[in-house]
Amino acid sequence: MIIRGLTKTYNGRCVVELPSMELNDGRIYAIVGTNGSGKSTMVKLLAGIEKPDTGRKPLDLNIGYMPQQSYAFRMNVLKNIMLNGDDAERAMVLSEKMGLTALLGKSAKTLSGGELARMALCRLLMKDYDVLFLDEPTAAMDIEATAKSEALIKDYQEKTGCTVFIVSHSLQQAKRMSDEVIFLSEGRLAERCPTNRLDAPETDEFRRFLEFYGS
Amino acid sequence: MQTALEKAIELIASGNAELINILNVTAIMTLSSSVLALLIGVPLGVFLGASRFPGRKALIVVNRTLMGMPPVVCGLIFYILFSGVGPFRAAHLLFTVKIMIIAQVVLITPIVAGTMEPYVEGICTTIKENTRGLGLGRGKSFFLLCNECVYQVFSSYLLGFSRSIAEVGCVAMVGGAISWKTNVMTTAIMEYTNKGSFSIGIALGLILLAIALLINILLSLIQRRASR
Repeated sequence: MIIRGLTKTYNGRCVVELPSMELNDGRIYAIVGTNGSGKSTMVKLLAGIEKPDTGRKPLDLNIGYMPQQSYAFRMNVLKNIMLNGDDAERAMVLSEKMGLTALLGKSAKTLSGGELARMALCRLLMKDYDVLFLDEPTAAMDIEATAKSEALIKDYQEKTGCTVFIVSHSLQQAKRMSDEVIFLSEGRLAERCPTNRLDAPETDEFRRFLEFYGS
Repeated sequence: MQTALEKAIELIASGNAELINILNVTAIMTLSSSVLALLIGVPLGVFLGASRFPGRKALIVVNRTLMGMPPVVCGLIFYILFSGVGPFRAAHLLFTVKIMIIAQVVLITPIVAGTMEPYVEGICTTIKENTRGLGLGRGKSFFLLCNECVYQVFSSYLLGFSRSIAEVGCVAMVGGAISWKTNVMTTAIMEYTNKGSFSIGIALGLILLAIALLINILLSLIQRRASR
């Protein structure tokens, strides 16, 4: 998979500047970096949610994207999940895996933050995509729900063979989930590193990040 | 005061013909103008809230200015346009219910659009991100956005309706408050108070207050329902 280079500027300030890069299909990439490093903007650009200032649409594939802020539409949880596909059996299986079965008939507006994130993940996984972009999918979840979500994402990736990008603030989650870590700093791709080589970062910037977040 | 109140209740209970006529004219003017304002204001508000184009912010400022337009200024503009010296004098609309409806539509539409716009803007980006992220088509995304706005549409309509029914300056200028023709509740209250005939004024005031109470109850129910 080749991602075409792109840039994005807000109010004259370049927030993302990515070079063209080649990625391997069927892998899980964790995108890490400090606040304001451009992680969310990068996935929005790659997913085609926002238009880059330069470059064309970076990927011509069937893309699924879960934003940082998931939305509960004014209908029950089951209908929300089935907005993205009419396979009721798949919806039931996903709901069960995410512990949402008891909430299916409930209005989605009444869900807590963690429940909403679980519902949004189920809704996204109703379809098979070539590439998945997940922007902090477990940020609002407790430990149990996070574990269930991670298992579900991995299971989905194995079954569909899709490429997954997960934005995360948790280095532990990146280690558990990903094959490769992409480190962003001030909108630039500062380093790419296989997850099993995180003990030997190439740049000082990434080393400092790993020391701080890994502790 | 007590006698006037008793007489007012008696007028309402007996279905006084003049009172019924005033209520009828008020209902025609208020319902027509608020529905027309809804039909124009809702799409306008959704467009301003959901779209991004050069000049959008200027349009929003213009709309917010119009939301606060003094009714008498609106009445004055329509009076000049449709009076004997105005460009639309041939339409012979001055002092008719039609011109009252048109003037009210001009007054209320910015209110409907102005209450829809920030609501739509508030939810639009998140909805767009979620629906695009799922790969849903534009039609389905638009339907979902509209579905989220249903209760806001009711609220905006009721705001427009309450402004229309309580308005006096504009309708008095363009309608002339002619008895049995263009006299609505608010103008009638003024007229009868000036004449010293308080009972019919109190009767109309009681009905207006009852309608205001009903609208507030409806708004509360809508807000409670929308939050569920």
